[in-house]
Amino acid sequence: MRILRSEWLKLVSVPTAWILLGTMVLIEALAAGLVTGLVDVKELQGRDPASLLIGTPLSTVLMFTLGALLATNEYRHGTANQTFVITPRREQVIAAKLAVGLVVGIVAALLYITVNAGLALSILSNRGVPVDGDLAVNIYSGVGTGIVLGCLFGVALGALLRNQVLTIVVGLVLFLIRGVVALFIGTSVGKFFPGEALLALQGTPTTEELLSQTNAGLVLAGTCLVLAIAGMAVTRYREIT
Amino acid sequence: MPEITVERLSKRYGETLAVDDLSFSVDAGRVTGFLGPNGSGKSTTMRALLGLIRPSSGRALVLGRPFHELSNPLQTVGASLDASDVHPGRTGRSHLRTLSAAAGLPNSRVDEVLDMTELTPARDRRVKGYSMGMRQRLALAAALLGDPKILMLDEPANGLDPQGMRWLRDILVALAAEGRAVLISSHVLSEVEQTVDSVVVIGAGRLVMQGSLQDLIAGDQRPALVRSPRRDELRALLEAAGATATIDGRSDRMFVHHSSLEDIGLLAAEHGIPVFELTRALSTLEDRFLELTGEGGNVR
Repeated sequence: MRILRSEWLKLVSVPTAWILLGTMVLIEALAAGLVTGLVDVKELQGRDPASLLIGTPLSTVLMFTLGALLATNEYRHGTANQTFVITPRREQVIAAKLAVGLVVGIVAALLYITVNAGLALSILSNRGVPVDGDLAVNIYSGVGTGIVLGCLFGVALGALLRNQVLTIVVGLVLFLIRGVVALFIGTSVGKFFPGEALLALQGTPTTEELLSQTNAGLVLAGTCLVLAIAGMAVTRYREIT
Repeated sequence: MPEITVERLSKRYGETLAVDDLSFSVDAGRVTGFLGPNGSGKSTTMRALLGLIRPSSGRALVLGRPFHELSNPLQTVGASLDASDVHPGRTGRSHLRTLSAAAGLPNSRVDEVLDMTELTPARDRRVKGYSMGMRQRLALAAALLGDPKILMLDEPANGLDPQGMRWLRDILVALAAEGRAVLISSHVLSEVEQTVDSVVVIGAGRLVMQGSLQDLIAGDQRPALVRSPRRDELRALLEAAGATATIDGRSDRMFVHHSSLEDIGLLAAEHGIPVFELTRALSTLEDRFLELTGEGGNVR
């Protein structure tokens, strides 16, 4: 509990965390409000309703970045020295960071749902564009889970790689250059990659062959788990120089 | 049992042997200077003591145990390896709170160490606005959080102005007087000369000497400083007796080699030559250090 409190304080005591969360809310609000409010009603009615609710992939990217910072700031700013002197059982520190990442991810997911539902659903309703309730629940749960897993993915990858820039670059490549990966490897294998799995989890309308939403969630959660275990093991035996 | 024990410690990074069969110990109630040129293995040794790196061979023990076996690390050892090890976006107070929370210490302890290090007025400023001296104080505050039995500070005087140096000296001496073991490393010898009770000198990862500050400075090779209004007359007598004398700029002073203070005094008395001063010339810690580690070390 002590370590958890310490990790929470580390997160909330730097402006970056608040800036990333604020940016995410702003972008989601703009995306939801502008698309549903400005696009012609007939065009909206012709679109797949899912595409109107998913928002932007930036939310997941921003929360992945926040998770990565949570893990790698220790090394970038040298605070790992003190952290691991106070807590020599280093895997406990990584576990606490993952727990904090989970909480922040859930908060971010709830913010996304609140902003998107508050703007997109209400504007669509006012403009007479019907949205199926089950579809909305499906989309929000998928995107919300994606945001949570994105944050955990950042913590786990950061714990493994340690280098901040490398972690963010590798993470973005895995999430954003998903189409390229799938193109070269083929969708039968490519669909298991994090970026493809995220698309499936969010319920993104696409012509690509994707996993089911549940399986995609399991693939992403499994990837996070493997990375987290590897991150803990490496951190435990790593020399802090 | 010594508070800190290093036994035949070696640490190799690839082809580089950073620490080579190093042994020494640090006792409670003293300020021990851990001296050596840059790259001589001081920081590596401290990291091994703190469990941050694994020795290639040998042992680095705190209270007779490896660091990771300590039940309350922060209450046992307060350490500062680099004053820059702080997130610049945090305030001084929030930085300390992240550390105190991990050790289960109350927030009131944070305010206490901020007071001790005279950082209270700056506690709510972001660390990126701190001077190097303030960062050193913050690092010491972090090390003091757990009211530890042992303090281990790597180059704590770096960046301190003369006022800060005096403050550091006073607080370290006071902490040692309370019964703590204080180990401070430095390559700037004048910084610790007035602070330490004993020294561990290393060069190229190997122990050069361990002993008291007086052991380090002492040596029969130091010349005698003689002041006399009839200096040249006394000089001639001393040289006739087999000593050698060198004259410095002052008209009444000379340095005499190869003769004891007693022999110089007796010779002057025999010839009725008044002597105003007769003492061993003070060799500085830095002189002795350079002698021990070689002139090639990176020593200021």
